[in-house]
Amino acid sequence: MKVQLEHPADEIKRLQRCINDLVSLLTLPAMWSGNKPCDIVQTLLDSLLRMLDLDFVYVSLTNLVDAAASETVRVPQSQEQMFRPRELCTFLNRWLGDDPQKRYLQERSHLGDEEVSLVSWPLGVQREIGVIVAGSRRADFPRDTEALLLSIAANQALIGLQEARLLSEQKRVADELDQSVAQRTAELAAANEVLRMEVAERRRAEEALKRSEAFLAEAQRLSLTGSFSWRIDTDEITFSEQLYRIFDLDPDAPVTLEQIGSRVHPEDISLLSEKMDLARRSINDHDYEIRLRMPDGRVKYLRTKSYGIRHKDGRLEHIGAIQDVTEHRLAEEALSKLRTELTHMARVTTLGALTASIAHEVNQPLSGIVTNASTCLRMLTLDPPNVEGARETARRTIRDGNRASDVITRLRALFSKTDTIAEQVDLNDATREVIALSLSELQGNRVILRSELADDLPLITGDRVQLQQVILNLLRNGSDSMNTVHDRPRELLIRTERDEDDRALLSVKDAGIGFDPQSTDKLFQAFYTTKNDGMGIGLSVSRSIIEHHDGRLWATLNDGPGATFSFSIPCRSNT
Amino acid sequence: MGSYQEKIAGEFPLVAVVDDDESVRESLPDLLREFGFATHSFSSAEEFLTSDRLVQTGCLILDIAMPGMTGLDLQRELKLRGHSIPIIFISAQKDEVVRRRAFQQGAVEFLFKPFSDTALLQALNTALRVR
Repeated sequence: MKVQLEHPADEIKRLQRCINDLVSLLTLPAMWSGNKPCDIVQTLLDSLLRMLDLDFVYVSLTNLVDAAASETVRVPQSQEQMFRPRELCTFLNRWLGDDPQKRYLQERSHLGDEEVSLVSWPLGVQREIGVIVAGSRRADFPRDTEALLLSIAANQALIGLQEARLLSEQKRVADELDQSVAQRTAELAAANEVLRMEVAERRRAEEALKRSEAFLAEAQRLSLTGSFSWRIDTDEITFSEQLYRIFDLDPDAPVTLEQIGSRVHPEDISLLSEKMDLARRSINDHDYEIRLRMPDGRVKYLRTKSYGIRHKDGRLEHIGAIQDVTEHRLAEEALSKLRTELTHMARVTTLGALTASIAHEVNQPLSGIVTNASTCLRMLTLDPPNVEGARETARRTIRDGNRASDVITRLRALFSKTDTIAEQVDLNDATREVIALSLSELQGNRVILRSELADDLPLITGDRVQLQQVILNLLRNGSDSMNTVHDRPRELLIRTERDEDDRALLSVKDAGIGFDPQSTDKLFQAFYTTKNDGMGIGLSVSRSIIEHHDGRLWATLNDGPGATFSFSIPCRSNT
Repeated sequence: MGSYQEKIAGEFPLVAVVDDDESVRESLPDLLREFGFATHSFSSAEEFLTSDRLVQTGCLILDIAMPGMTGLDLQRELKLRGHSIPIIFISAQKDEVVRRRAFQQGAVEFLFKPFSDTALLQALNTALRVR
């Protein structure tokens, strides 16, 4: 425990020390710059303990941002047994009281068994920062220099703490600012993300739309179907890409009724205007076919399906699809043509089939005749002859003969009933068709067919089918006549020419067995035949057909093997 | 001729004729009787199949083209039922395909109408020898 000395040298020393302490106190704020309040308090207390001969020193801070250490007490190590920090705090709190008006206090007080001198120094005019309390058991505490140091230290601490407070406040504001900036940034980022998603969504929707439009365009292209809309009030017409292609119009220019009209086939214009008039009046559905005539002359068949819609504002609009069905239509036409040709061919070959059925019809009664006649003969050769039986069989023979005759009558009736068509016939064309028809049959019989068709053949008037039946019959006869020929080529030559009287002449020359010159006249009689399985119908019918055309059918024997059958027809036949 | 007739008539009592054509059904039996055969005519294959004369039939003269069962059908049917009756086909249609088929199925002879009496007699002789 130091005792104040009256000695001037000691006094000087004391004052020098005080000055030193003052200087070091004045340097404190430089140390504190940027420090936290608790750090400031620590160094302040350490300095006071070191400078003044204290038993304890206490700081209470109020209203600080960094409120972690609001009370701090420091006791020198040697006094720690005597002054416990917790008890000191409680004691000093009570001693200080709550009155902030008590700016400066100094008194001796009892702390437990000890009597101590207490000095308090406000931090801030009304302790708004806090308060410092220094305590010592010395009775002379605080001496003048100690009070000075204490007040300077308190002021310095006040400045430091205010700076720290300011700094802390600045930092808080900056933090708040940072935080609000961060929050705003986050909000902006979130909004941005939403926007980005919306943009992406829109882009996806646009792409989907584009894709769906591309699909539609592709479907229209593949199905050759275009679509249109037509506003009745303004005559505004919209075409799809494919419809522009179908109409072969410039896709960059708007479509007009005039342009459409210029493409429509002249024969279908009235149909179109009728349909359009209907469309102007009502919302009925339409389904019709119309033709276009393109600038290059091509004809397109278009199937149109449309319907009208009445908008809420009363406007009428027609919407529809147009399919190019040209290929379909052409295929249908080709099929129909083919069907006609097939029917025609069937008619040409009818004579052959007819001959076969006639053979059956005639052979039946013929068989009866032969059998009856044989029986009759046998009955008459008996001894005695069975005259009654013979008479009966003879009667049956006559009856069967009549039946055969009936068949012929029916046959004639059949042919005369056939409608004769008078048309211009190119015999060369007719011949080519028959050749095509019988080629495989001729090849099957190993027949080599040559044709020499004249270029200058006159057209004749007549029934093409009947004439073709004759040609076919001649070809078959020629082929049949060579069935038994094995020592020479089975050659068949079909020729057409214009004869000296300007008639169209057709001849079929074979290399077959020919015929007996004596029976030339019989060749064209019904049921005369040189063939094993022939009926003798074909040539007979053929001759009547040719004569019906004011022509002539005849046969000649070749110089070499075989025969030639020819017919000629005047080019002006009056059938 | 007399002894031939007796011989045929005794051993082979019946030659059946199946044809839808009436003139054949009238004329052929007369000729067959002149030859010395007993005979019976049927207008259809079905009629012959249901007849009790079937078992007595020693030879069948059969038409090809008939409404309903054809000659070839009857030939197959008889074979299926185990009747080995020799068959002489007669046809008004000169169809070689049918003729070949008939022979493949075991026909004795195939005559195209009209046929001569000698051709028929020859065929009958062959048929009955086969038997």
